[in-house]
Amino acid sequence: MKPYLKSLLFLAVAGAFALPWLSPPVYFVSLLFVVFMYVVLAESWVLIGGFAGYLSFGHGAFLGIGAYTTALLMNHFHLSPLYVLVSALPAGAAAACVAAVIGYPALRLRGPYFALITLCFAFVMELAVKNLDFLGGPEGLWLKAMGIEVGLARGIFFEVMLVLMLVTVLVVRRVESSRFGAGLKAIKEDEEVAQTLCVDTPRVKLSAFILSAFFPGVAGGLYAYYLSYIHPETVFNIDISILIVLMALFGGGSSYVGPIVGAISLSLVNELLSAFLKAEYARVIYGLLFVVLILYLPDGVISFFRGRKSGAG
Amino acid sequence: MARRGRFRPRRVPSRTGDRNVTGILVLQSVISGLMIGAIYGLLGVGFSLVWGAMKVINIAHAAFAVLGAYLAYFLLKAFGVDPVLGFFVILPFLFFGGMVVYRFLIFPVMRARDIVVSSMVLTFGCAIVIENFISLIGSPDPRVFTTRYTGRAFFLGPFAFQWPQTVGALMALAGMAVLYVFLKKTHTGKALRASWQQPEAARLYGINLRRISMIAFGLAVASAGLGGIAMGFVYSFDPHTHNLWLIYIFLVVILGGVGNVLGTALAGLLIGLLNGLSLAFFPYQWVNVITFGMLILILLVRPAGLFRSEV
Amino acid sequence: MKGLKATLILILTAAMILMGSGLSMAAKPILIGGSLPLTGKFAETAKWIARGYRYWAEEINKKGGLLGRPVKFIIYDDESNATKAVTYAEKAITVDKVDLLFGGYPGTAARAVMPVAEKYKMVYVSMGGHMKSFSQGYTYSFGGPPLMGEWWYLGFMDWMKTIPKKDRPKRAAVFTMNNPIGASLLDSMKTLEKDLGIKIVINEKYNLPLPDATPLIMKAKQMKCDILFSNGFFADGVMTMRAAKALNYNPKAIVQGVGSVIPAWTKELGKDGDYVFSGTALHNKLKFPGNKKLNEVVKKRWGLPAYPVYFGFGYCWMQTLQQGVEGAKSLDQTKIRDWLKSHEVHTIAGNFRFDKRGLPKPYNYLTQVIDGRVELIWPLSVRTHDPVYPKPHWK
Repeated sequence: MKPYLKSLLFLAVAGAFALPWLSPPVYFVSLLFVVFMYVVLAESWVLIGGFAGYLSFGHGAFLGIGAYTTALLMNHFHLSPLYVLVSALPAGAAAACVAAVIGYPALRLRGPYFALITLCFAFVMELAVKNLDFLGGPEGLWLKAMGIEVGLARGIFFEVMLVLMLVTVLVVRRVESSRFGAGLKAIKEDEEVAQTLCVDTPRVKLSAFILSAFFPGVAGGLYAYYLSYIHPETVFNIDISILIVLMALFGGGSSYVGPIVGAISLSLVNELLSAFLKAEYARVIYGLLFVVLILYLPDGVISFFRGRKSGAG
Repeated sequence: MARRGRFRPRRVPSRTGDRNVTGILVLQSVISGLMIGAIYGLLGVGFSLVWGAMKVINIAHAAFAVLGAYLAYFLLKAFGVDPVLGFFVILPFLFFGGMVVYRFLIFPVMRARDIVVSSMVLTFGCAIVIENFISLIGSPDPRVFTTRYTGRAFFLGPFAFQWPQTVGALMALAGMAVLYVFLKKTHTGKALRASWQQPEAARLYGINLRRISMIAFGLAVASAGLGGIAMGFVYSFDPHTHNLWLIYIFLVVILGGVGNVLGTALAGLLIGLLNGLSLAFFPYQWVNVITFGMLILILLVRPAGLFRSEV
Repeated sequence: MKGLKATLILILTAAMILMGSGLSMAAKPILIGGSLPLTGKFAETAKWIARGYRYWAEEINKKGGLLGRPVKFIIYDDESNATKAVTYAEKAITVDKVDLLFGGYPGTAARAVMPVAEKYKMVYVSMGGHMKSFSQGYTYSFGGPPLMGEWWYLGFMDWMKTIPKKDRPKRAAVFTMNNPIGASLLDSMKTLEKDLGIKIVINEKYNLPLPDATPLIMKAKQMKCDILFSNGFFADGVMTMRAAKALNYNPKAIVQGVGSVIPAWTKELGKDGDYVFSGTALHNKLKFPGNKKLNEVVKKRWGLPAYPVYFGFGYCWMQTLQQGVEGAKSLDQTKIRDWLKSHEVHTIAGNFRFDKRGLPKPYNYLTQVIDGRVELIWPLSVRTHDPVYPKPHWK
């Protein structure tokens, strides 16, 4: 990375950290909070979906598990909302545990079958939560409001989400250049060959899957508080799972930069379109965006920045 | 959360009661399930064909189905054309529309490194465009087909067959049969199969892959339209409905084996059957959980889908 | 990847500036902001609410405005997504600095926005998210009037009491969709057995989409249920009705939850939708002032015989808010709240006094679809048509 870029990046991150304390309209803080959340989700998805080529269509479920774990912990132990910051970590752990249980058998499946099983998993989670009364059932769960000024509360959560995002990005970046990452990419290229090259494929895949569930779990904990009211249809929504995949692929799914680009650009473009156009037109243009992008850059946005050197095949 | 004071009427042990009632209900649920399953099967076949033949995952497949249902609805409302006949009117539009979409949108994507991924993003965009286009032209309110035989049923023994559902299911079976015969017997169909099983060899034999794919895509879109009309006999639809249908399509196709038309058809029926059975034996609210749970189990036992043999 | 981050940051800043500048030209008018699901799952209903809002604005602007200032709506499209509803509520409050919030839809979105309104101390007049959301201790939220699942069948229950015991149905089949509305509707049937002696024989919940209603109806028929409660939305409601017709299932009454209140019910079902009972908190044939005029407007603009219920709701919530503002003679939210809590408001749905939770006294009207029109049945004072009971057999 060129030094001026490095310093620019540093400035941007510093600026992001400072943002909530410059008293901007709270909306921007909230908007970026959600955008960062999507970066976390798409970025963790890349671990398993981008590097290893196992398209998980149920990643939104981990967000939901995190959200519900946090809400239950808070309501059960009557924790002060500030502890959300603490209870988000067990939420991540819970998501990781579920990922281990699901991933162990599911990762034996290849290609579309893995996609299907994760999709089914996400469905089962949503429906099961809806049917279980101790989880709030179809009524959902309320979280206690924090007794401090709303701008400050949003600011605190913004900072935490920002940190989480940076951690996620750094972890994924680190993985990409590590032996672990190389193993994952070998699996994507050809799993049999990888095996003969002494990659312990089941273990590598499972670790990647667990790691990729942990961050969404933590994010879910923060998200639950952001919403204050969670409902299976909101946090387990299958649309979130699909959006995550699309964000990662939109940016270009095989590197840690793609999801950042995808999540940020799609969220902001959507927000801009909605701000300036009539609802349906905004949606139509949003849809056309995908079409046009793929027609000109079939490998995602970042292939443009890479000078298409790996392009056509 | 305290849920005190929550109203919970006593569960009535309906299933331990009259044995006769239970048996009939089970079979009735299975019949309902199979009829819906056939329609999912038809919707899945086209999706499977495109995925198998050109590695394109067409997220907009269900949107085309909704479009077909809307066109048939329009014909029904404006000219009183029965949706079954209406299909033959809109068939050419869907077929050529599909070919145009292939030529100008799908074909250019074939140069992508990962066709599956790129085509997903592209067709996701198409689906959004179609959905909102429909609600711009029409309005987002839900529609249902109302024909002369709506709300009528015939009985075989104690079992009821609602006419619209039956018509929908028969349409679906016919559609699947036609597609199957097309692939097995016609020259184009054979060429198509050859081209996805052994693309290189097919090219050597002078098969024009682009033309073949274009026809296949047109057929897939047309079959989606037919499936959409069949669905319209059973469910109400609105521009947003395709999201829901798509998930079932996805389920059916993967379970049946990608590119496997017969498998897809059978998987549709199987999902219907699972749904029907769980409907009969479990409280309604758990039906989907159990259906999806069973699917997960099936996948774990047969990791490559149910039907491995080609086509 | 080199220039990428710089570009990104640029885009980000540009986007921020654009978003900020485009909307900060609030000069004189009173801004009323929030979001509605204008696209996606709930688009149809939201469109009518938005029309109701806009018509209210048009009317009041013609009269010289609110507190002498014109009003202007900023309606964002939350794409039927509760998260977006929260973000847009915050956008309206903190970026557009709106003077008033308007109510969102559906219940799940309202549930998510109510805490936001509370945090920012903004009066929020909406349908609410059923009883649970009004028992969270929010002080700025009002159901003016609410769409209260828990009250939905009050009118039906009261009317049923007037039916001699021997003519009442004895065994009920209850099919409920598994979501907050369904749960609240189920809650409103608490008294069925105790007050009316109607026994709930079948009580099934289902997840949307309902795969098929045939087995449900067959069960109801076999268990000899003579009243059917279909606590569902439009799609599943239609399926249930059609299955009942196909199986020639003839209970004494069919009661439908919220699916039959939208115009599509009579439009799409025609005769098959007749004789269905339901509830409502608002109706275009009520005698309260304003209804007649609204009906004329809707007839002229959209060619409908009378206004759809959600158009009325949109208008009605605004009436409540308007009287709060005019009563408080200021846009100070706490003053508006206190005024609303201590005075009576007069709307097209009736006259309301709000309690501590922001709710009027429990009430609901009983409606029945007769000859393709939704008629009021109970209370007697609002009746527009005699009820058709027991339900005639299917033809």
